[in-house]
Amino acid sequence: MNLKKFAIAAVASLFATGAWAGCSFENSVPLKSLTAGFAAWKAVTSAMAECGNVESELDQEFRTKQPAAFAAQPALYHIGGVSNGTHVPLLNEGTTRPLDDLVAKYGGHLSPNQLIRVDGRTMAVAMMVNAQHLMYREDILNDLGIAVPATYEEVLAAAEAIKQAGAVDYPLGGTYKTGWNLAEEFVNMYLGHGGEFFAAGNQPAIDNEKGVASLEMMKRLTAYMDPEYLVSDSTYVQQQFQQGKVALANLWATRAGAMDDAAESQVVGKVKMASAPSIEAGGRPASTLWWDGIVIAKNITDEEADAAFRVAMEGIDREMVEANNAAAVWLIDGFQPGAMAAGAAATAANGAVPYPASSQMGIMHSALGNGIADFLTGAKDAATALADIEAEYLTAAKEKGLVQ
Amino acid sequence: MSGPRALRQPMGLRAVSAGFLGVWCLLASFPFVWIAAMSFKAPVDSFAPNPLHVLFGPATLAAGKGLSLLDLAAGAAVLWIAVRLAVRWLPGVVARGTPPGWIAVGWFVGSLLFGLAFVAVFFGLLPLVLGGLDPVVGPLGVPVLGLTAEHYESVWVGNEFYRNFVNSLIVTAGVVAVSLTVGTLAGYGLARSGSRLAFWLLIVALVFRALPHSVLVAGDLPPFIHSAEVLRPLLGEAAPTLYGKPWAVIAVLVSINQPFTIWMLRSFFQNIPLDLDEAARVDGCTHFQAFRWVIMPVMWPGVITTGLFSFLLAYNDYLVTSLLLDAQNQTMVPAIAGYFNRETTTTDQVEAVAAAVSITAPLFLLVMVFQRQIVSGLTAGAVKG
Amino acid sequence: MKFRTFAAFVGPSLFLMFVFIAAPLVSVFWQSFHVTKARFETVEVETCTPGFLKPTCVTEMVTRPVLDEHGQPRLETRFTGFGSYRNVLEPDRTLAALRDLDWRALLTIDFWKALRFTLTFTLITLPLVIGGGLVIAVVVNNVARSLRGPVIFVSLLPFIITPVIGALSIRWLFIGDGIMTAFLEWWLERDIAMFAQGGTIELLMLFYRVWHVAPFAFVVFYAGLQTVNQDTLESAIIDGASRWERLRYVVIPHLMPLIVFVALIHLMDAYRVFEEVVGFSSQAHVISLQWLTYDLLTPDDSGNRAISRASASAMLTMVGIVILLVPLLLRTWRDQRPGGPGGAGGGR
Repeated sequence: MNLKKFAIAAVASLFATGAWAGCSFENSVPLKSLTAGFAAWKAVTSAMAECGNVESELDQEFRTKQPAAFAAQPALYHIGGVSNGTHVPLLNEGTTRPLDDLVAKYGGHLSPNQLIRVDGRTMAVAMMVNAQHLMYREDILNDLGIAVPATYEEVLAAAEAIKQAGAVDYPLGGTYKTGWNLAEEFVNMYLGHGGEFFAAGNQPAIDNEKGVASLEMMKRLTAYMDPEYLVSDSTYVQQQFQQGKVALANLWATRAGAMDDAAESQVVGKVKMASAPSIEAGGRPASTLWWDGIVIAKNITDEEADAAFRVAMEGIDREMVEANNAAAVWLIDGFQPGAMAAGAAATAANGAVPYPASSQMGIMHSALGNGIADFLTGAKDAATALADIEAEYLTAAKEKGLVQ
Repeated sequence: MSGPRALRQPMGLRAVSAGFLGVWCLLASFPFVWIAAMSFKAPVDSFAPNPLHVLFGPATLAAGKGLSLLDLAAGAAVLWIAVRLAVRWLPGVVARGTPPGWIAVGWFVGSLLFGLAFVAVFFGLLPLVLGGLDPVVGPLGVPVLGLTAEHYESVWVGNEFYRNFVNSLIVTAGVVAVSLTVGTLAGYGLARSGSRLAFWLLIVALVFRALPHSVLVAGDLPPFIHSAEVLRPLLGEAAPTLYGKPWAVIAVLVSINQPFTIWMLRSFFQNIPLDLDEAARVDGCTHFQAFRWVIMPVMWPGVITTGLFSFLLAYNDYLVTSLLLDAQNQTMVPAIAGYFNRETTTTDQVEAVAAAVSITAPLFLLVMVFQRQIVSGLTAGAVKG
Repeated sequence: MKFRTFAAFVGPSLFLMFVFIAAPLVSVFWQSFHVTKARFETVEVETCTPGFLKPTCVTEMVTRPVLDEHGQPRLETRFTGFGSYRNVLEPDRTLAALRDLDWRALLTIDFWKALRFTLTFTLITLPLVIGGGLVIAVVVNNVARSLRGPVIFVSLLPFIITPVIGALSIRWLFIGDGIMTAFLEWWLERDIAMFAQGGTIELLMLFYRVWHVAPFAFVVFYAGLQTVNQDTLESAIIDGASRWERLRYVVIPHLMPLIVFVALIHLMDAYRVFEEVVGFSSQAHVISLQWLTYDLLTPDDSGNRAISRASASAMLTMVGIVILLVPLLLRTWRDQRPGGPGGAGGGR
């Protein structure tokens, strides 16, 4: 760094904060937003900030704060960022407002696909979708003459061939970090097997042969992974890819862009995207579809809500997408789906289902996250692990009042 | 060493002791050296499996960001001079430059100015001068070591980390000031009261110190968020929302640290002879006047030592600040943890390392300056079972 | 000192501790015996979410809380006695495991798993921290005066570092092919994955804690060493005491109050072990009591959190720490009791 660059940066930041260059109106109502902190939200919130008077909070603790902060009187934030899962508590407690009139007034450019509708009322506006799908090293598969795997049996066969050839350190990468990530992998696998999580009355229903088969498949996959798989989250798998240590992984679509980032990656141009593998050929991909979007708080004045929605629409407009095309798989008009979005598109086209978010699913997800590791480390067998997870779920669900 | 003959040690023992010390110093400093090395490299080098790549940064060098031998020598010289100045020159200047009674403020301002001056010289002036010199001096000016400060630049300028720095300063200064004010009063009261109540209060404080913090913080979050609703009947429209307010977090951190503070200060006060109070009381002082004008002036070593522990607690806190502060008032540690959430990239991580090194630097300065006070403060008898 | 003066001096401190420590504690105690439930209804709801090109609409049965006329969920709080404690301790499974003397089965129950780790962590690090601190203090006290400043500076570094960052920097050295793992692999000539099994992660956590806290013990002991009575030492030399005997019979008894002080602080801090579990992501293999409480308290994506069980687990943690501290508390009690040897006016 030298002084000149420093000075230029300082001057540039002065201009950036003082103006509302990229916004079609000048906002005069003080607004606050609370969202997650990943790249897509950075892009959206900085586009919102161009309208002026917007304070954005990008926070990894937003999950903890959001329900309470929106329930406060008046709400501490006007705009919230949510996904399938984090939308549930806000819907349950009725702390966000229906957006139909605001959409009619300011949302002409929104496509029907972006509107999250509950019982006919628009409760949120989605901006992007995300899904785990297959990423693979095209060069390695070509060298070994392996077709792109479409089922998990083919993934295992490919992994075995790659291992025999010694092409990389570990044939497979996996986001198997204990907790949320590991549970998500089970959810993918179990839905891929066509499983149902709940029976009537919110009773758990995972202790069956589909659950056991899902666990067994996960264990077979781990044999080809870095032995430290129980601490590897998506950033770690992404790094393993970038450093050329893994050849195949079922990784989030938002991570695809990083593979071709020359500043970080040693495998630029070698990683390609495909649909998430299924269990049986032609079956439903073992993956779930996620969306991220915007809600407006209920406990604020109508005037604030009006301004908040207008600002939010500026945040998810065409200009923002054109400037940040690679940051996500956007749902917004103007998005150019490149090769990196092909995996998410194929996964959705092959019939992957949306993540089945609900109160009871939140409890189940936590119980899975804490319980599956015992099976993978060998402390319990599959049936015991699933029975214990069901017991854990029942305890929490009874405490909450979901199960009588 | 000129001790008595019998105190002199055989060569073997001295060698073992020196060897142990060497290993310990390596162990203590290695992680710091390592993360510092990581923070100055391009992401490919930072997380390279080959340790030599992390140290010498071939990819960083290939990208045209490197240092020559001359740069290295000049950098080392500036660093050395800075350390000498901090240890030898700064204490004197602060002692002479501040009016009596304002010594803590003097230290605060002095350290801050010194730190800023160092940053200006090391990152501003030095590269400018060397940039002109390097092409002139031939082989000495050819880059040999991959090194880049771009992550620091993007952290401090691009991500506006200085805001978090200012927030950290506010919270830390607040905690130290309030903690010491409240703590010295209580410590003095407890030390001079021989009553059974005082004793029980101390035991209860000790049990309070053992409580898990996550429980306290989780208990605080809902009332903090809803405080405006709860307090409105009492305070009307002026009812504050405690969540996100630095002073509310200061109050929480002060309380969490109170048990340790009062125990420590109480021990210091006990080492001050009772005669001193009594002499002051005979001269017609009230208890409070005696405390303020007679006892406090001889208490500075204890106050500085205790203050340092409060400083460390407030500066290093993660749990309380991450849950109870909003983005505008976020301090540095939760801001860094924010680089590690579910959705990060390798570049984010190297920036986090750079931020981590940045927040460690003030701690280095602090220890360098106050090292003697810590030891002499503890020696003065602060800590006794 | 009159009571009113005493109250004026102690008042502000007590007020803060009351509001921010005692009050949350009372609420935690209360919550551990009560359960708050929402009333739920199951209704058919049509939900449309984005697909890739067109929305996917599903109609399904959704369980959601019943809202009252103010739009707030209807909550019912009931007294449950020791119900939450039972849910944490799982007495049926515990007794079954104990009957079969099945240690592994016992350790699959979260609370006992956490307690096992918390206790071993606390009790193993305690002697290492005190021993390590003492050795460093003695050795530093032994080097030439000119070197002491820099050596003390370096030795204090692990203590002052922000714990979150310290744990991360140690983690980076060992995770994957981190430099220390690479070094160990080269040295032992075998493949090593430090984060693949519970044992090695636990070892790293122990190492990190000792590395982090030993400097605190060191600086306290070093300060204590400066006040060792030289006359006693010299008479011990004249009596022909060896180096070891002098350390054992003169220096250590002199440092005893400090050792108790460090032990007290360390027991409290180590029993609350939490940062290590997060920093080293050890949840798959080992968890600690405070982590268990924190995990129950942290809401999942759908905003559920188990407040009652978390409160019960927190109360059990407290009971544990008080039991662990009893011997040291008793000692402090004897020393600090009004009129006791360390009471007001007493000294070393």
